[in-house]
Amino acid sequence: MTTLLDQLPFSFEKPEWLWLALLVPVLVVASYRALAGLGPVRRTASLLIRSLVILAIVATLAEIQQVKRNEDLTVIFLMDRSQSVREQETRQESYMEAACKDIPPNDRVGVIDFARHAHLEQLPMKGGYFLERGRLPEMPNPDRTDVAGAVRLAMAMFPHDTAKRVVLMSDGNDNMGDLLGEAQRAAGDGVTIDVVPLWYELHREVFFEKMVAPASAEVGEIVPIRMNVQSNTVTTGRIEIFHNGSKLDLPDEMARRRLEVGNNSFVLKLPIEEPGVQKFEARFVPDNDNADAIVENNRASGFTFVSGKGKVALLTMDPSADRILVDALTDENIQVRMIDLGLEVPDLAGLLDYSAIVLSNVPANVFTEQQQESLRDYVETTGGGLITTGGDEAYGAGGWIGTPLADVLPVELELKHKKIIPRGALVLVMHSCELPRGNYWGKLVAKKSVDTISSRDYIGALAYAGGASWEVPLQFATNKQGIKNKIDRMVIGDMPDFDPTLRLAVKGLTQTDAVQRHIILISDGDAAAPSGKVMQDLIDSNITCSTIAIGYGYHVQEFTLRDIANKTGGRFYPVRNPRALPQIFVKESKVVRRPLIVDEPFTPQVSFAQSEIIAGIADEGGVPPLGGLVLTTPKDLALVSLVRSTEDGTDPVLVHWQRGLGRVVSFTSGYWPQWGTDWTAWPKYSKLWAQIVRWTMRQEAPANFDVITRTEGNQGRIIIEALDKDADYLNFLNMQAKVIDPKLGPRDLRFTQTGAGRYEAVFDTEHTGQYIASIGIIQEGDYLGSIHTGISMPFSPELREMSTNEALLREVVTTTGGRWLDSGAETDDVFSHDLPPTVSKQPVWDWTLAWILLPLFLLDVSVRRLASWLALSIVVELLIIVVLLFGAGVIYTNWFGVLGVFIFAELVGWSIRYQYIRPLFDWMTHSVTALGQAGERSTQTLGQLKDVRERGKADESQQQAAQRPVESTTPKTARFDAGDPTPGSSVGNLTEAMGGAKATDSGEKPKQKSGEQREPGETEEAHTSRLLRAKRRARGKIDDDKDKQG
Amino acid sequence: MRRVCVILLLGCVCGCDPPPLTENGVVKVFGTVGMGEGSFSYPRGIARAADGCLFIVDKTARVQRFSAEGEFETQWNMPAKKSGKPVGLTVHPDGRVFVADTHYHRVMVYDRDGGEIARFGSEGDGDGQFRLPTDVAFDDAGFIYVAEYNGNDRVTKWNADYTFHSSLIDGPIDGVPMVRPAALLVDDERTLWVADACNHRILRFTLEGELLSQFGSIGTEPGQLRYPYDMDMKDGILLICEYGNSRLQWFDKAGNSLGVWGNAGRSIGELYSPWGAAYGLDGMIYALDSQNNRVQMIKR
Repeated sequence: MTTLLDQLPFSFEKPEWLWLALLVPVLVVASYRALAGLGPVRRTASLLIRSLVILAIVATLAEIQQVKRNEDLTVIFLMDRSQSVREQETRQESYMEAACKDIPPNDRVGVIDFARHAHLEQLPMKGGYFLERGRLPEMPNPDRTDVAGAVRLAMAMFPHDTAKRVVLMSDGNDNMGDLLGEAQRAAGDGVTIDVVPLWYELHREVFFEKMVAPASAEVGEIVPIRMNVQSNTVTTGRIEIFHNGSKLDLPDEMARRRLEVGNNSFVLKLPIEEPGVQKFEARFVPDNDNADAIVENNRASGFTFVSGKGKVALLTMDPSADRILVDALTDENIQVRMIDLGLEVPDLAGLLDYSAIVLSNVPANVFTEQQQESLRDYVETTGGGLITTGGDEAYGAGGWIGTPLADVLPVELELKHKKIIPRGALVLVMHSCELPRGNYWGKLVAKKSVDTISSRDYIGALAYAGGASWEVPLQFATNKQGIKNKIDRMVIGDMPDFDPTLRLAVKGLTQTDAVQRHIILISDGDAAAPSGKVMQDLIDSNITCSTIAIGYGYHVQEFTLRDIANKTGGRFYPVRNPRALPQIFVKESKVVRRPLIVDEPFTPQVSFAQSEIIAGIADEGGVPPLGGLVLTTPKDLALVSLVRSTEDGTDPVLVHWQRGLGRVVSFTSGYWPQWGTDWTAWPKYSKLWAQIVRWTMRQEAPANFDVITRTEGNQGRIIIEALDKDADYLNFLNMQAKVIDPKLGPRDLRFTQTGAGRYEAVFDTEHTGQYIASIGIIQEGDYLGSIHTGISMPFSPELREMSTNEALLREVVTTTGGRWLDSGAETDDVFSHDLPPTVSKQPVWDWTLAWILLPLFLLDVSVRRLASWLALSIVVELLIIVVLLFGAGVIYTNWFGVLGVFIFAELVGWSIRYQYIRPLFDWMTHSVTALGQAGERSTQTLGQLKDVRERGKADESQQQAAQRPVESTTPKTARFDAGDPTPGSSVGNLTEAMGGAKATDSGEKPKQKSGEQREPGETEEAHTSRLLRAKRRARGKIDDDKDKQG
Repeated sequence: MRRVCVILLLGCVCGCDPPPLTENGVVKVFGTVGMGEGSFSYPRGIARAADGCLFIVDKTARVQRFSAEGEFETQWNMPAKKSGKPVGLTVHPDGRVFVADTHYHRVMVYDRDGGEIARFGSEGDGDGQFRLPTDVAFDDAGFIYVAEYNGNDRVTKWNADYTFHSSLIDGPIDGVPMVRPAALLVDDERTLWVADACNHRILRFTLEGELLSQFGSIGTEPGQLRYPYDMDMKDGILLICEYGNSRLQWFDKAGNSLGVWGNAGRSIGELYSPWGAAYGLDGMIYALDSQNNRVQMIKR
């Protein structure tokens, strides 16, 4: 029974409503008598239609569904392209090719390849395997394997109406996801996973299991470095240790090692002599190269954070100018390292080694946006100190307006209080670039320029859009968002030559009051050169023009661009990598910000003598004069210690504040050889700067915080046990932490308290490299200090696996009911149709409601109310046509279908009309004899009609005589099925005599028919005759009563 | 538009083919934006072969061949496109397709199905070198003429075996150096026509490089030009495609304007930054409507 039900083409979502179908017999019984007024045909039809209406309502309530069964199969191949099976790509492609030969025409094939991420290479489609051998795109990040992710993608790609099979080709070394969990979900969805194992085994391999260095240590401590090395062969070799990048000279008895099969552990004790991050790296070099198949996994690394007196990094573009400050700080016993940014730009991990950073007259374009964000994180999250000093490349003049670092500075780089300030003007000339997405990059950097310039400067953009035109009219950069929106909408056309656009730029710039006028021309250089006149106008108007040659082909079209830049005093930038463009634009935009530099001597005034950073410095005699500064505005919460007073107000010179966990000091002067000679000769110079630096330096966490780190699969875990000075647990601490991913940069790290004084955080370690965490500890709003720790992932886990993980693969097969395919594509029968067919259900209750219930209802009404068979047949025809054409969708098929619908509707219609035209039909189909019989019948019929008429007249005159006194009390009705019998009697009989519907009851029968002559509807006549007799009796009684009264 | 719809409707009702489009003389439009067959991504060069078929190169660095009726026939890719894409091509009377591979500073020679026959030129200013070649022309003696720009705005002459012959037109012409010579053609009187695009003028030379005449100045009036990017000639009537004015203009050999067609726009009968135009057979004119990624077939 169940099997039979399963084969039905429909099912019900809520079958309990089907009990309502029991109403059908009840309805039939109840309606049978009520519909007695209809003929037997109509009554039967009406009862049938009403039953169907009830059933349609029941089906709708039970939420009827259409059930489709499909025997077709979709196979999705999962192709492992991770590092461990890189050699087996060709084999996998051959397997798929062979397996897809001669597949059934309706079966579909999809292909997904995967390593760290899964990629869809072929959508499931009919026709087989379409990928060309050896033409798969290069697999990014093959250093990990996420089989579960590939299975997940396959599940999403399966069409819903076919059987589903995954064929997994892999070594089973899944080091990211939860393959078994995903296999269980696949099995739950009816997807089987067949496995084609990729076999491999390394017989001679050595790899570093791990290196463990203590998370923290003190200066002078000897720390143990533990190393575990795995080997599957006996071999000898040397251990090499690197400390902070320098190779240690280990004696032979320590360095030379013999490895046994299995795990080999070594411990090395090293003294720690300086504070900060101590990085250790160990490598094993086998004596015999043949003893090791993979060399990348022969190393491990770790690091220890050593607390102690903090160090300071001074970042500069001009080491000779800043030497005097470094010497002054060194004299004050502060350990300073000067970093030349022209040679090296440290990342956040490198900065964490320092308690404070000094940015000395550094322009913004030295750093990428990500590095600027790292600097901000260094202050806000890791609690590092930041000091910025001025110069011709600093603050607003250095392009720092709108940068991430500007957020943490205690000064605004825009000028808000100045009434008169020299303006700059910048015009961007944008030319369509051949480079892919060249216009996108052009707009991106143009918007960057808008961010970088001051709102008091002019900015405009020119492009070719059917002619040179101002796409962004030259205007003040006050509404920066509006200007950026305009840039987004710019149409950057293919400029034939630079002449018209540069001419417009010259005209626009010379009409402004800007003292610094600059053009940035971005192009791939294939427009024709500007005329000599325009070039001369640029030079005469003192307009500089920098040109940026964008695109792979820059080297070939640089002639014109280089010429323009050289002649106008601008710079030429050949750009191969568009990602470098934002920095170039920042660098160029700051050209117009030169008016922010005040190059005239002044003597700073003390504005806040109680300031911690100048306490005891400026008490006596004030401070010496400075030669200039960069104009800024102090932020609301910042403390301004020194100012420059002018008639136009005061300008901040020395400002400081706390930002996040870190402290920031901004000194808007500096630039020592030019502006600060009096200061560097000042006896208190060293003391002042030592005081500033010490105030900003990061607070290190108390020593009674224990930190433990460990790796757990693809995750790192940091555990902190916090004790106070009395060895009591510190609870409810607030930890503000970030972990620096070696690839993705800083990410937030969330600590939760898991026990008394115990806090834990977990983070993903999916990339190879060092993960450094910085944790700021806050207790009841007080910043206690920061802890640094980290975890090292020296090489991919792919390189740890020495053989195929057969057990896992077999588990997948067992879990999903799949097959172990290890005998070759020709015999594996990947497209075997042994899976149960797919059953898909689609709700159709709304269709039932619209196209069955409603038409049936109309039909029911028509059958009961339309007297004419002709009218009824037309209604039925229309309903059939509408339902089949639009409900069943025949109109969307070919014209044969539409024609078929009309033919069918006509057949049904004429079958109904047959009742109406039967005499004619009979006349047409019978012989002359039959015609004579028909004539006789006609004579009889006429006789009947005459009788009816005569009797009607007699009745009428009788009634008129009898009823005249009570005429006004007699009800006159015109009801179709229960009206006054007298006026309708002749009509009713006439209709009946013509073979039409028995529309109304008649009075007395004009003639008693014999049994074989009984017409349909005779039963109704008997019923109406009874009614008439009863009526007549009642009328007689009324007459009697009148007579009595009379 | 309403008229077109009515005509189409009547055509359909009558069971016959709709009459051709007649917007401004346009009888057919083919091509749409895309990278598939018969689609364009900013087409920049068009040339007609002797048999009437068309070759069109676009910013996907792809040459497509169409029938004279605009039906796609075949396509092939240039050898490289990272540095940039070709802007011009010309079909030799013998069927060879010469593509000015602009950003690779060479001319590629193909057969009509895309099979490479030869390539010549390299980067530079010297003999046998190009900066940015734009167009190719041929004379009946077998010589090949190539225009180039980007600081090396000149026309060079090459032998039939693709070896360098001479630098034919270089330096100031009537006191003004050429700036971006964008199109070349040799007429039936064996004179060489050069579209000096950024000087908005047309130059006529002998095949030895001697200036015969010139006409054109910047402007939008009939007889004026803005960035003439392409030329073709038939029966002595010069057809010029103006990139800057988004129109076609006809001239006689004396430089008298005979009429203009089109204006900037996206509708049928309008052009948006066209890069090329060519005479077809049977009086047809093909306008390469670059920014609209289509070709309009015009009968006048």
